[in-house]
Amino acid sequence: MSRLTYAKIDQTILDTLTPPPRHYWWIVGLLFMGAMVGAACWTYQIFVGIGVGGQNNPVAWGTYLINFVFWVGIAHSGTLISAILHLFRAGWRNPIARAAETMTVFAVCIAGLFPFIHLGRVWQVYYMLPIPTQRLLWPNFLSPLMFDVIAISTYLTVSSLFWYTGMLPDLAAIRDRTTGTRHKIFAVISLGWSGAHEQWRHYTRGYLFFAALATPLVISVHSVVSWDFALGIVPGWHTTIFAPYFVAGAIHSGLAMVLTLMIPLRKLFHYEDIITINVLQNVAKTIVFTGLIVGLAYATEFFIAWYSHNAVEMEQFRWRLFGDYRWGFYFMVLCNTMAPLLFLFKKIRTSIVPLLIISLVVNFGMWWERFVIIVGGVAHGFAPHAWGLYAPSLIEYGIMFGTFCLFFFLFMLFAKHLPSVSMTEMKETVEKGIADHDA
Amino acid sequence: MTHERHIMGIFQDEDQVVTTVQDLKASPYRFERVNMPIPSHKIMNALNLKKSRVGWFTLCGGIIGFLSGFALAIFTATRWDLIVSGKPIVAIIPFVVVGFEATILFAVFGNVIGLLTQTRLPSSSWLTHYDPRCSGEHFGVLASCALEQLEELKDFFRERGAELKEFNYRPKP
Repeated sequence: MSRLTYAKIDQTILDTLTPPPRHYWWIVGLLFMGAMVGAACWTYQIFVGIGVGGQNNPVAWGTYLINFVFWVGIAHSGTLISAILHLFRAGWRNPIARAAETMTVFAVCIAGLFPFIHLGRVWQVYYMLPIPTQRLLWPNFLSPLMFDVIAISTYLTVSSLFWYTGMLPDLAAIRDRTTGTRHKIFAVISLGWSGAHEQWRHYTRGYLFFAALATPLVISVHSVVSWDFALGIVPGWHTTIFAPYFVAGAIHSGLAMVLTLMIPLRKLFHYEDIITINVLQNVAKTIVFTGLIVGLAYATEFFIAWYSHNAVEMEQFRWRLFGDYRWGFYFMVLCNTMAPLLFLFKKIRTSIVPLLIISLVVNFGMWWERFVIIVGGVAHGFAPHAWGLYAPSLIEYGIMFGTFCLFFFLFMLFAKHLPSVSMTEMKETVEKGIADHDA
Repeated sequence: MTHERHIMGIFQDEDQVVTTVQDLKASPYRFERVNMPIPSHKIMNALNLKKSRVGWFTLCGGIIGFLSGFALAIFTATRWDLIVSGKPIVAIIPFVVVGFEATILFAVFGNVIGLLTQTRLPSSSWLTHYDPRCSGEHFGVLASCALEQLEELKDFFRERGAELKEFNYRPKP
């Protein structure tokens, strides 16, 4: 690896902001079309009604809620990497922090779409806002769904502000190295940052507080999401381990998505000297750790069902293992807890292709985990005569496809128009020594 | 003494900046600021800066948020005194969620307000007497002096290995 210097960091990152080639716009265009497919499906649902989805009685929560939880989960590792690892002074986070934070912001936006989609009559969304209206009705904050409104909107606001604040010195660096319209745009969005010692004095303090506030927030948000389920008396949902279980799962899936995004980014933008194999290796090691926590949670659920001697709970977990959605359960166990164990082998965690494949496998498994929890719970509840099954409709697949395209569309735009690696934090890494960065 | 001329010494080495700042403070010239591409701890320590007051803004925001979160939940619950799920009308435990999230949200707002007010952003005034290289790989030490000391100040920087940048004279309004 060639030694990094301030100039090399600037040059490598600024090179990514040069006008993109034509094939970039083709990919962006295709992703936009994909997002439009989702938008068209949603529009159709708005006109025809929520019945175009596969939700039924008893399975009233389908892919819209699965995807909501999935995307909130993806959002979590961005804050883990940028805030929690910042507090722990983990030098290896610096090359991937910006992309992970961006992933957080976009993932929360995508997640936030799903409650709107699931509402059906989306124009009545203002019912959830605590505003005085002619109806003289106010939201009830005893409901975990209202907790969600507060938690997700707080998370989106905080993570966006955290992301923007962290980018401020880099925006100034780009301002100083561009001309024409781009210079004018960056001059406005960098707010006049000059890197004066007085600015840094307050900035470093403020950034530390940001990290300190984002850390409990990230834990609280996915706990709140888990209480959407745990506060219901549905078998398979009504359990006290849901909050830590969901938080660990969220970080697990988010880290996998970080690898999924960073590996192609590293190749395309020639970030090999910045996002070193050691950085990816550290993410992989953390995935092993979170995978083990998730595996422990899976096992604990079964143990508690058996230990409780509650017939309904025991049946729910017997059915999870051998019932209609058993494949989903097998996927989640294999992909989320078994596959990451391959990272215990150094050869695998230091090879790009296996890293990418296993990250995709974990993403796949984490989606199925949400399917098993959400659909499995309500499909096989207390009363056998009320059991039922669920399969997503074509419209739901269309919306799901559209939101995935929207996420990658936004990320593609970001990667080519804003610095996808923090120049300032990379320079700080160099200042502390390359060994620290590789550690 | 009127400090009318500004000179910036541009350095690549952090340690040279530390020495220069220390020497400058002991000199008859006026130290204005250091522009840095990173928050260098060595330089910050040499400048012996006071602790930032941003935290007070954050704390105030957090307190306001904590009170507003609970107030919102209690206010909305008491508009219609309906018992839900057997819980009291003013159910403190569930309202902790609202109070907690509002605490974080308002603390962050306080933090942002603190950052903007303390760093005096947005403002283009920071970019007067500024060299764009200072956001890249250089450190800029800005000093001012009276017209008759200008050459001495230049020599001061040159002796310490700096590249010089002289700014046009701008009379203070």
